[in-house]
Amino acid sequence: MALVTLLASTVGVSLLIHVVPGDPVMMMMAQNAAATPEAIENARRALGLDLPVWQQTLRYLGNILQGDFGRSIFGAEPVSTLLFDRLPNTLALAFASMLIAVGIGLPLGFYSAYRKGTWVDNVLMVGAVVGVSIPGFWLGLILLLFFSLTLELLPVASGDFRSLPLPAITLGLTYSAIVARMTRSSMIEVFAEDYIRTARAKGLPETIVLRRHALKPSLIAVVTIVAVVFGYLMGGAVVVENVFSWNGLGRLALDAILRRDYPVIQGFILIFATVIVVISIVIDLAYAWLDPRISYR
Amino acid sequence: MARPQDQLPIDAPAPEGEAPPAGARWRTALRNPRIIIGGGIVLLLVVVAILAPVISPFDPVKLAVGKRLLAPELAYPFGTDEFGRDILSRVMHGAHLTLYVGVVAVGIGLLAGVAVGTIAGYAGGWVQSILMRSIDFLYTFPDILIALGLVAFIGPSLTNAMIAIGISVIPYYARVTYGVVLVERHKPYFEAGQVIGAGRWRLIVAHLLPNIVPPLIVVATLGFSAAVLSAAALSFLGLGAQPPDPEWGSMLASGRNYITRSPWILVFPGLAIVVTVLAFNILGDGIRDLLDPRLRQEGR
Repeated sequence: MALVTLLASTVGVSLLIHVVPGDPVMMMMAQNAAATPEAIENARRALGLDLPVWQQTLRYLGNILQGDFGRSIFGAEPVSTLLFDRLPNTLALAFASMLIAVGIGLPLGFYSAYRKGTWVDNVLMVGAVVGVSIPGFWLGLILLLFFSLTLELLPVASGDFRSLPLPAITLGLTYSAIVARMTRSSMIEVFAEDYIRTARAKGLPETIVLRRHALKPSLIAVVTIVAVVFGYLMGGAVVVENVFSWNGLGRLALDAILRRDYPVIQGFILIFATVIVVISIVIDLAYAWLDPRISYR
Repeated sequence: MARPQDQLPIDAPAPEGEAPPAGARWRTALRNPRIIIGGGIVLLLVVVAILAPVISPFDPVKLAVGKRLLAPELAYPFGTDEFGRDILSRVMHGAHLTLYVGVVAVGIGLLAGVAVGTIAGYAGGWVQSILMRSIDFLYTFPDILIALGLVAFIGPSLTNAMIAIGISVIPYYARVTYGVVLVERHKPYFEAGQVIGAGRWRLIVAHLLPNIVPPLIVVATLGFSAAVLSAAALSFLGLGAQPPDPEWGSMLASGRNYITRSPWILVFPGLAIVVTVLAFNILGDGIRDLLDPRLRQEGR
């Protein structure tokens, strides 16, 4: 199934170049002063745009299967090199912010569900609504203003791991609100289960109710939340990377979009499709491991 | 001979009290603080957006070199930007752009999503499985990425950003519609309609669509804030509104080099985005409480 999805998205991505209004080659070459008719013809052939559409798609698919994502039209570097140079940076950012988002959102959401209806819950959930309404790039600019420039604590854009905290805090804070909301609603369901009521009714101490009965179903909820939020985070990273000049896929993609470097953009979308498919496989495995009733055989 | 209760439809709706009269419904709505607060701010935004040309004190685009980067004062309550333009006036005109983008994007998402969801839910078979598998796959993508990918190919502009965002949110509406259609089409009233030979269009328009409306109102209100956020992000990246348009995201982008010297450039457009998104989120939560108290799941 995962393979079919990936094949389908590869075909989709290869066709994307045809939604470019006008001639994609002319659009690409418009920013290149040295565009002779010959160079334009070469670029067209390099992209395979002189072939019929079905052949283009097959060729793209064949190339991708051999790990060939084409070449950037600027500097002619292989797209795969560009992408895989940046992928670790984006993944590092996404993982670091995931830790922050889960570290803040999970306990707060859990506590909110446990104390459902009290003022603590109300205050936390008002905070969470405000949190999900704050655009990450704006929060980033504000943090940048406060930390780097006013307090001079962290380097603004040194490009190495020391500049990781600010973008990670930005993304982590933004998504902690979503994690808190999702955790709360799944935990409310868990706490409403009959077996929790039974466990309390038979007089088990609250810590044992929580540890022995509520823990495992909540782990399943947590796996779902972590996976969904990781996908969002990768999306948010694309925007936030550009606030902090974090050298990841998001910056690469934005540069490519502004320069109309279509092969790079196609590769970028495919990388994301792959990451998302991998996440969904990992979730399925985690479900099967956590809940013996689920099996994929 | 079957017992009488066997002939009862399994999923017969629980007996409900009489539907409250319309007036009572409005009164319940007006007692919900979320609807009052969210709806009030949304109303205010709409008024500001419509009246922006009349009530804004200055031209939002015209340069005024002598008035660059003035701190907030009485004449310029939000200060001026790097080109001497009044930020309050720009924020007001920005409300117009933002609501316009939201309406168009949500409109595209709604129309296409309802169409896809209805077709998939109604057709069944391979049409259903292909449509819904694609929708589910797109749903797992963050919508900002879909919008970004589309803008990359159709080119950066506010119109294209609107279209791209509209397409990126189709999965929300398609999934909601599909879910409702699947449930409704197996209910007795629908099967009765089929039995007495109602045409396909009549079944869809008269029986299915009215049931889709309440959940869609909730999703569209919450989706409005998602669309506003995406539009601001795309414009911030330079892929949506282009200078000198007073779009909030693009104001943040063009002012970002001046933020240490003149933080108000950063503060007010950003607050405008937060207030707008927050208002639609609160209103959406409120409408959800009102229309479907059982459906209080909080997801995205």
